[in-house]
Amino acid sequence: MTMFIPDAFRQRYGPLVDDEDAFLACLDVLLPKSFRVNTLKSNPDDVKKRFSGYGIQIKQMEWYEDAFVSENPDIGATLEHFTGAIYMQELVSMLPPLLLREELKDARFVLDACAAPGSKTTQLAAMMGNRGVIVANDSSYSRTRALKFNLEKTGAINAIITNQDLRNFPHMQFDAILLDAPCSAEGTIRKNDKLFYEWSEKSIRSQSRLQKQLITKAFELLAPGGAMVYSTCTFAPEENEAVVDWLLQNHPEAVVEPIGEMEGLKLSPAVEEWQGTAFDAWVRKTRRIWPHHSNTGGFYLAKVRK
Amino acid sequence: MRDRTGRRPRNDAPPQETRSMVLDYLEERFGLAPETFRGFGLYLASKGRVYLGPERAIGEPRVVSVGITIARLSGTVKPSTNLIQLFGRQMTRNVIPLEKEEAVSYAKGEDIRLPAERLSHVTEGYVSLGYADVPLGCGMLKDGSIRNMLPKAKRLGLKFI
Repeated sequence: MTMFIPDAFRQRYGPLVDDEDAFLACLDVLLPKSFRVNTLKSNPDDVKKRFSGYGIQIKQMEWYEDAFVSENPDIGATLEHFTGAIYMQELVSMLPPLLLREELKDARFVLDACAAPGSKTTQLAAMMGNRGVIVANDSSYSRTRALKFNLEKTGAINAIITNQDLRNFPHMQFDAILLDAPCSAEGTIRKNDKLFYEWSEKSIRSQSRLQKQLITKAFELLAPGGAMVYSTCTFAPEENEAVVDWLLQNHPEAVVEPIGEMEGLKLSPAVEEWQGTAFDAWVRKTRRIWPHHSNTGGFYLAKVRK
Repeated sequence: MRDRTGRRPRNDAPPQETRSMVLDYLEERFGLAPETFRGFGLYLASKGRVYLGPERAIGEPRVVSVGITIARLSGTVKPSTNLIQLFGRQMTRNVIPLEKEEAVSYAKGEDIRLPAERLSHVTEGYVSLGYADVPLGCGMLKDGSIRNMLPKAKRLGLKFI
């Protein structure tokens, strides 16, 4: 193994995984390229035909018909990428919108709370067929520019960009909310090998404090009966289970919903206790994705209903 | 229209005459019926940009932008690449099909020169360029030459087409 991995990182997560060696080894392997078919401009069958014509091998995911993986480095030089018929997106990043699939069928007013650079927003727009309204918010103005570019490229007509700190967001009621929270991003190590040089447990604690504020505010913005997905791309229980646990302590009316199995993508149980503190039993319904299980990035998912 | 703070919001519903100007142009020039945009709203933003977004926007928080840019106004109406890529298949007039090599040049950002017989069905002005059944973007036809209107950020060297 060539990658530098901090000892504290190994000590934290080694005991949480089924196979520590496989987990650590996987972090040093580059992620395969993946993309999503943008159904606002094309469809999976058409893309399969065209790529077959190019002689580019692509593999459709069993758990999501719009998701594909390819070893070919030239996916970005295809006509489909140029026209926005496909969108380069990490597989695990397609999961949060997918968990809202049923709700999005007739949702009229949806919030993507931390939207930039817009991978998930454009997916939401496609899943909604451009109907209804998505408020795509990001606290960073400069990041809303990338968001705008991607909304334009994919043809996401039903999205409105706002630039607010979520904690100061005016009171509104959304049918569905996606809170893909800012996080320490440990799960993205396979595409950012500098990550561990800036990694610290202190930063995890400060992210956790922010995430607790964000999840509380997002839940308040949810209409009764509405559903929210909380997700991160990190392993730290402080930023995952502890955040959902915090919401349940402060909003006992919040209901954690089970996350169904996905064919060909292993979802693992949540962490039940961390550093001596046991989490609310409902937190067990949330799910983790470990990189070495299905050759993806690391991820955490929780679905909450009001 | 001003919001409560007295600032001018960035995205206003355009006055009726601007709205008509855009919709009439798209219908006359490209055969795009106004019904194409039913269920959506038009918004006028800074620098003459016209956005196509949801029918109803929101009052607060302050909106940065709505939907996608479909045109820019500067005396005339300049249709956007995004408009053509999204609605090009429904365009019936001033559409020019390109050959493979021409489409690759277009994606790279190059201007395109075509023989007169391939331009007999179109008139000077903005044209919708496509390859096979795929709309690519906008060009400006003048004196037998098509000026490339593709924004720099969208230019790409295509290897597979």
